[in-house]
Amino acid sequence: MPSPDPAHRPPASDSASGPLAPALGWRLVRRPHGHVDFVDGAGKVFSDVDVLRAFPVTAPQGPVAIVSADGDELAWLDSLENLPEALQSSLVAELATREFLPLIERIEAISDDDPQVWSVVTDRGQRRFILASIDDIDRLPDGSAFVVDATGVRYRIAAVAALDPTSLRLLEKTME
Amino acid sequence: MASRPPLPAPTDSSAGVTGTPWGSAFVLGTGESVIATATFDLDASMRFTEGFLCLTDRRIIADPPASLEPDPVSPAPSSGPVWWHLDDTSSLDLRIRGGVGRIELLAAGRVVARWMFSLAQAKGMHALKDAFEQRPSRQRQQTPRPAAAPLSTGNDEGDGSEPDEGGEVTHPEPHAIHRRDQAGDDDADDLPTTGTPSWRMLVRLAPFARPYLGPALIGLGLSLAGTVAVLVPPYLTMPLVDRVLIPRQAGEAVPFSLVWWYLGGLVISAVVAWILSWAQLWVLAWVSERVAAELRVKTYAHMQSLSLDFFAGKRTGDLISRISNDTDQINNFLSINLIGFLSDCLLVLLTAGVLVWLNPVLALVTLVPFPLVVWLVYLVRGRLQRGFSRSNIAWAEVASVLADTIPGIRVVKAFAQERREIDRFRSANDHVLHANDRVNTVWAFFGPMVSLFSEVGLLVVWAAGAWMVFQGSVTVGGLTAFLAYIARFYSRVESMVRMVPAAQRASASAQRLFEIIDCRPTVAEDPRPVRPGRVRGRIELSGVHFRYGTREILRGIDLVIEPGEMIGLVGSSGSGKSTLANLVCRFFDPSSGTVSADGTDLRRMAVTDYRRNLGCVLQEPLLFFGSVAENIAYGCPDAGTERVVAAARAAGAHEFILSLPNGYDSRVGERGGSLSGGERQRVSIARALLVDPAILILDEATSAVDAETEVVIQSAIDRLVKGRTTIAIAHRLSTLRRADRLVVLDAGRIVEIGTHDELLSRDGAYARLYNAQSQAAAEATAGP
Repeated sequence: MPSPDPAHRPPASDSASGPLAPALGWRLVRRPHGHVDFVDGAGKVFSDVDVLRAFPVTAPQGPVAIVSADGDELAWLDSLENLPEALQSSLVAELATREFLPLIERIEAISDDDPQVWSVVTDRGQRRFILASIDDIDRLPDGSAFVVDATGVRYRIAAVAALDPTSLRLLEKTME
Repeated sequence: MASRPPLPAPTDSSAGVTGTPWGSAFVLGTGESVIATATFDLDASMRFTEGFLCLTDRRIIADPPASLEPDPVSPAPSSGPVWWHLDDTSSLDLRIRGGVGRIELLAAGRVVARWMFSLAQAKGMHALKDAFEQRPSRQRQQTPRPAAAPLSTGNDEGDGSEPDEGGEVTHPEPHAIHRRDQAGDDDADDLPTTGTPSWRMLVRLAPFARPYLGPALIGLGLSLAGTVAVLVPPYLTMPLVDRVLIPRQAGEAVPFSLVWWYLGGLVISAVVAWILSWAQLWVLAWVSERVAAELRVKTYAHMQSLSLDFFAGKRTGDLISRISNDTDQINNFLSINLIGFLSDCLLVLLTAGVLVWLNPVLALVTLVPFPLVVWLVYLVRGRLQRGFSRSNIAWAEVASVLADTIPGIRVVKAFAQERREIDRFRSANDHVLHANDRVNTVWAFFGPMVSLFSEVGLLVVWAAGAWMVFQGSVTVGGLTAFLAYIARFYSRVESMVRMVPAAQRASASAQRLFEIIDCRPTVAEDPRPVRPGRVRGRIELSGVHFRYGTREILRGIDLVIEPGEMIGLVGSSGSGKSTLANLVCRFFDPSSGTVSADGTDLRRMAVTDYRRNLGCVLQEPLLFFGSVAENIAYGCPDAGTERVVAAARAAGAHEFILSLPNGYDSRVGERGGSLSGGERQRVSIARALLVDPAILILDEATSAVDAETEVVIQSAIDRLVKGRTTIAIAHRLSTLRRADRLVVLDAGRIVEIGTHDELLSRDGAYARLYNAQSQAAAEATAGP
């Protein structure tokens, strides 16, 4: 019977208990299958909420929002620091299941087609994608870069200069 | 049990992704049919994988199984497909947040399976969910139906049957690939005026070269030295022939070592010439790149300083081509032609000197065809110029077709006029073709003509030289050297002649750039401007007239707007509402009369300082390429995330921004079609809110959105106007309900001022407008 890798199970057990944040007046309750419920100060339960980073690219450690299944904002945290430790770790675990930013480690090939087809190795495995336009490569001043494929999946290159020579050559060729 | 064809085992030949290739197959039950298929590409730990979902009328089959345990009914193999039976309590829940999608199968409200996928699969998953919700009930499924037909529902989506490839097949969506137009050498010298571009235009480029005077002089020096080095070899061949080869042939004992000496000298001079010309080319190309770059920035910066009316009268494509194409033309001219021309001039003069010095008689004979060449150049220059002018006019035509139809592509498509537009383009393009053909005809005749003259020159020298050798007035070596010089001389004359069209083209480009640089902003900055800082927002218009061309748009407006007051401008189109708002923004200055803020004439204020007090929300919210956060912070780029979020909240944009794949870091702009009109408008309201303007202009801010969205935006606007002097323009009078006063304009004059109730009771122009609108609204609601 296949079962998920235990290493990637949420840290809290699948019991209906959650860390309390008395100072904030609300708490999170972990439900089976990785769902999280939000209980506000008045005891109202919002089931299956989302924990999102508002600035995942420019401020990855910055504000975090808790949003209901309908998209309504339930809580806003300017940062995860200074939160009760249990809540903080539960939020971090929750974010980890939602943050999806594959890191490109190597570029294996970039086709000469128009649009280009990229074959890359990421920290989440191999991948091929279409780059609609070179505008979708966003090089940041800190030397990192973001690549958004034609379907909107975002990839990151931690340090362009630190790529292996082949990858770098392919990338530079694309940017020309 | 009917043996059904196995599921299309999707081949994955081209993807080349490692992982489990789907060789697995399974058997459908009797009467079972496939309704939809989809692929998922992430496993439970969100690593890329390849997975396949198949929805039949009674089961969901997954391979590999998802992150959650399948229900115990399934055979649970260690690998291969696993399935879950569906019943009335089954449901699918699909959610996409933060770049990761999740689809869950629930039975009686309990999650029994979950699959994760990236945005690449979102379309296919949505199709699967839609198919799930519309799937035929189990009872009606007893009669077998062909498997192929329902299967195509999945295939039609494109994502369905081809894992991983599916995502790639479906999205050749329109994207912006900026290809430089390379439609020929003569392109886009869109000569704007009928006057012929003069060489003076090229002289005006000189100031841009001043910062690089040093390198430019070095380049010239190198050019001179290189020219001299080129002249050395023929000079060495002369003694080689006269003192070595001919005496040797005549039987004298000449040591061969002398040959080595002369050869060595030739090699050295060749190498020196090579190094010098390499250095010269590099230095001068370096300089000309910088001159062109400087010119580009200067032109663009100047363009930014120009007033709105400049842009109103220009085609965007034309302006873009001036800044990108014309500067490039100039760069090419400076780096290739001008340098070549200078060194050609030097070489021609020096060679002429050497020729005269070697043998004045022979030199005179040689130079006989030269005046002829000059006369030819003169003749051809005029023809080329006319040719280029024609070509430029034709190019302007092409540019205007493009400028018309690319922004208007929706209209073209809506009326199915693609064919006609292509024909229109083709006919404009044919004009370019014909104009270029004329230029080419002239040039094709003229180029070889110059070659012919140089050949004739050589022949003359051979004839005269042979005669002089017979006379004994010249040695064979002297003649050889002379011929070598003469060949150089004429090849340089030829290349000088080629400079003529290049110079014409470059001066046309320079003229186009200087046309922009010579424009003065009509909204002029006061030489000693008042720096207003933060204004309170009392706006006074007194005796304001505004003329645009010959049309009088405002005819004497007197109006005082108190700080914090909201004014609604009402009137039919063309009554001058927007013009009035533009005057308050100081996009234009009034033809007569004054507009003042806090008692100071706007014309006396520093323009940008005053505009920092302004916030504008326009009918078409223009967002720039960049993230949502960058767009909100446009007027105040160093605003922190807290201010951005606060502005977005106040504008009612916060929650939809959070639902975007990357929150505030999601991109809008060219491919930002993902934001609806109302959402874009709310982002633009947040942008206006962030700068905390003292004076707010709302120009038809809600007229482009539906009534429901308008309610949302209106509440955002209500927060926005609080405590600010506001001028709101709206066609829909209901959106001005919160205005303190309404100003009714007609044909450039104020006809009524008052509150909504006052104006209604007055039963004047406003009452008529209002009644007409409410009547129309009533008819609309009363209708079907």
